[in-house]
Amino acid sequence: MALRAAERRVIAWMAERGRKPSRFQREAWRAWQAGESGVINAPTGSGKTLAAFGGPLIEALEKGEQKPGIRLLWITPLRALAADLHGQLEGPLRELGSSWRVLIRSGDSSATDRSRLRRGAAEILIITPESLELLLSHADAHERLGDVTSVVVDEWHELLGNKRGVLLQLSLARLRRIAPSMRLWGLSATIGNLDVAINALLGPGSDGRLISDSRPRKTIIDCVLPKPVEKFAWAGHLGLSQLRAVVDIASAVRSCLIFTNTRSQAELWHQAISAVWTHAPESLAVHHGSLDRELRQRIEDGLRDGSIRCVVATSSLDLGVDFAPVDQVIQIGSPRGVARLLQRAGRSNHRPGESSHIVCVPTMSMELAEIAAIRRALAAGDVESRMPPLLCVDVLAQHLATMALAGGFRADDMLAEVRSTFSYASLDEGTWQRVLQFLQSGGASLRGYPDFRRVVEVDGQYHVANPRIARLHRYNVGTIVADGSIGVRFLRGGRLGSVEETFIARMKAGDRFLFAGRTVELVRVRDMTAWVKLVKGQRGEVPRWMGGRMALSNELGPWLQTVLADAHPRERELQALGPVLCTQRERSAVPESEQLLVEQLRVRGTSLLFVYPFAGRRVHEGMAALLALRISRLLPVTIAFGVNDYGFMLSARSLAQFGEPDLRKLLDIENLRNDLLASIASGELARRQFREVARIAGLVFASHPGADRSVRHLQAGTGLIHDVLAAHEPDHILLQQATDEVLENTFDFVALESTMQRCAGVELLVKHPKKLTPFAFPLWAESIRGGLSSEDWQTRVRRIAEQLNEARG
Amino acid sequence: MKTHAIDLAGERVLLDARRAMAWPREDALLIADLHLGKASLMRQAGAALPRGTTTGDLQRLSALVADHQPKKLLVLGDLTHGAETLDAPWLRRFAEWRRTHAWLAITLVAGNHDRHMVLPELDIDVVPHLDIAPFHLSHAPATHARLHLIAGHLHPAARFRDGRIAHRWPAFWIGERRSVLPAFGTLTGLAPVSAERADSVYAVTPGGILAL
Repeated sequence: MALRAAERRVIAWMAERGRKPSRFQREAWRAWQAGESGVINAPTGSGKTLAAFGGPLIEALEKGEQKPGIRLLWITPLRALAADLHGQLEGPLRELGSSWRVLIRSGDSSATDRSRLRRGAAEILIITPESLELLLSHADAHERLGDVTSVVVDEWHELLGNKRGVLLQLSLARLRRIAPSMRLWGLSATIGNLDVAINALLGPGSDGRLISDSRPRKTIIDCVLPKPVEKFAWAGHLGLSQLRAVVDIASAVRSCLIFTNTRSQAELWHQAISAVWTHAPESLAVHHGSLDRELRQRIEDGLRDGSIRCVVATSSLDLGVDFAPVDQVIQIGSPRGVARLLQRAGRSNHRPGESSHIVCVPTMSMELAEIAAIRRALAAGDVESRMPPLLCVDVLAQHLATMALAGGFRADDMLAEVRSTFSYASLDEGTWQRVLQFLQSGGASLRGYPDFRRVVEVDGQYHVANPRIARLHRYNVGTIVADGSIGVRFLRGGRLGSVEETFIARMKAGDRFLFAGRTVELVRVRDMTAWVKLVKGQRGEVPRWMGGRMALSNELGPWLQTVLADAHPRERELQALGPVLCTQRERSAVPESEQLLVEQLRVRGTSLLFVYPFAGRRVHEGMAALLALRISRLLPVTIAFGVNDYGFMLSARSLAQFGEPDLRKLLDIENLRNDLLASIASGELARRQFREVARIAGLVFASHPGADRSVRHLQAGTGLIHDVLAAHEPDHILLQQATDEVLENTFDFVALESTMQRCAGVELLVKHPKKLTPFAFPLWAESIRGGLSSEDWQTRVRRIAEQLNEARG
Repeated sequence: MKTHAIDLAGERVLLDARRAMAWPREDALLIADLHLGKASLMRQAGAALPRGTTTGDLQRLSALVADHQPKKLLVLGDLTHGAETLDAPWLRRFAEWRRTHAWLAITLVAGNHDRHMVLPELDIDVVPHLDIAPFHLSHAPATHARLHLIAGHLHPAARFRDGRIAHRWPAFWIGERRSVLPAFGTLTGLAPVSAERADSVYAVTPGGILAL
């Protein structure tokens, strides 16, 4: 069949379903046919799956029967999306009479599927990045993947900014060697740096195409205004006072998604709504990433077939393969970033090109300003960027061991391959040698560690030392996402999901907690599982999950400052916020864009220092730790600090009044890195970060309960290994990586540096308010979270002992 | 605060922050769970661990012996971690340490790990358990009808929050009728204790012994 005829059949097939190819879809098909690669930027619900699938589909129809073998790899970040995708790809194939078969390969694949894959009994493979890496670890990867003509990376924006994405960059570099003529397309939501997204996908310097759905899309942001703003919570608050309004909106429509920023908040809101929900109880559900896959699948299906009207969800529902659109989207609290708002609002998008609509429900007064700031940033097209992590030696070590398994490699070839990726383009020879050395002998020193060998070099070719290490390494591939989570199951056997180990560790048998919209009681913990039973009508503790706080995006900070400084705002939110800002002006000041506000006062016998850079929580945490250290060098004092997205607070028994020259000195950018490292009790934080680094690099084995008992007694905590390395090999590359990551992950060092630079150039507004200001109050109310003291260990232990005694009374 | 004296079943004993218990009246030093050779076994299995852990542990033990001047060393099980050839480097270092401490009487109350390996001629008495009134020494914690039981095996740990930093420290877990020593070896895991009301927990911190 000729190409055009095949294309006409696809268009006719779409027409039967009342659709016609949009411009960007046709553009994507043509680009594919011309052999190009690139990124397709289109919102959810716009038909981006078909945009990427169209090219291969048309060719499949054109060519008809071919020899079996995988032609298309569809890489998806979430296993949960694979089943949905399977249907989306198989539908048109079957209805158009193609013989191509679709197969899913992920950690959950059945033995039958695996053997089908080995026989090559599929043309399309849906796969997670980790499973792809595993596939590449086999010596016959060349034969299995040699016929691949196209690769699609779904939700590329989700992978771009993390280590899973870095590992995928390395896998793709290998894939380019195996199938040099393949076309590679990424699907991405709108982010601020699509150019980087293209370069990270295809390798730097490549000539990638950007195809955008250019139809104008309007996003309407509404806001439920609280009644009297003056009484509205200044500090962090769940904002359940808005419950009535939320339930009214949700009840009036056939389908509704309520997004919260944390899993705990989702559980709480679900519980609150269910108490006043007038529709059938089973038409209300809660959905978040810690719930069991099947449970989530049931909820997604229910939303699609109409049996569920309302779902309280976290970002677990941000992702999705053209997920069923809903009538109404509600956002509890501020979405904290433009990209996230777009993604969530897109869920209400019924037809490509139509406007999407979101109702925001602020839970504290400053969120009113955030919503106004997001609206202005969106109008200006200022969407957040995502930067790929660079030069991670742990991911590189894991990948090299994998490649040593896959038939081995030569050092110079491999280095060239690694450098062809965005994240390792500037990898220097020295680091490369140290990573190779780590794999061969364990340490940096020439003699290496006795008895240790993972990868051996024979005639310039690097191989894995023995089959046992090969087996252990395969277990380890893809442990990047693993954290210390523990399964939650009913005694009767039903799976509910997972919570963090640390949360369960605090609980005793008989304790209650809220999970998956139910109150459950912990019965016992065994085999990495928390066994629970249902209890009726009792309130329980809400689990806390890692990353509980969602930080304001770096891009949004300046916009927030702009809207706050606006004396005559058009936005209703800002007008509603008027009285609060008025109080702020009376007691202190509202800073303009080129000003930095500092407030100093004494409350209940404590000296407080507030600084408001509006740079986001992580940056403020770094600045607070830094200032605390620098002050404690001037005078021996124990300083506690609190941070939020707008600013930070330092408190101490007594602090001197700092004038402008003192403050300038405290905020000096000189020695930033060293002071910061000194300030964070860096040992302890680096020790924690080391856990992830050590797992990825394969320094320790991931635990596989039941899988391999002989390994169990050979495990040691990563904290211990950190201490051993720190004592015996302090300049180990993995220790350095852990320290770098502390700076990067905990404080967002790059953003911190630029914030400090900005602070140096602006006017300082030093105020001495008599009472706490509206800006200060949330920080004060939430204070004493972190702290720093210049005391040594002996003194600290004595102080802790004193605290304990006081607590006992 | 390197040592902390307590009364245990009527005896004065010293809890040492180097993870040992000294019993002056009996001229004895008690330790548990050294797990010698664990790093070596882990390296053979492909974990990149540097050398030096055995040497470090033995240095700590030497310092303890020098400070407390005991006549006997009582090891409450798991002296070694697993099966090894007799020419393993860590074993040579341990034999050397034994030679320089030949005057010290060593009794090993055998633990579950010790069954993997029969130590060569190192002049160590191996017993299933040991009674020296008022104490009954064994590896695994159980109960004893008459005597206060001192055991190892559990690797007890204490948790404590200091500001935003959560710590886990090895700990002495001292009960009415039963006490458990912290694991001596560097590369040993920790298990948080579920202490009862009457129990005392002493954490081994970088700043010394901390009574919790």
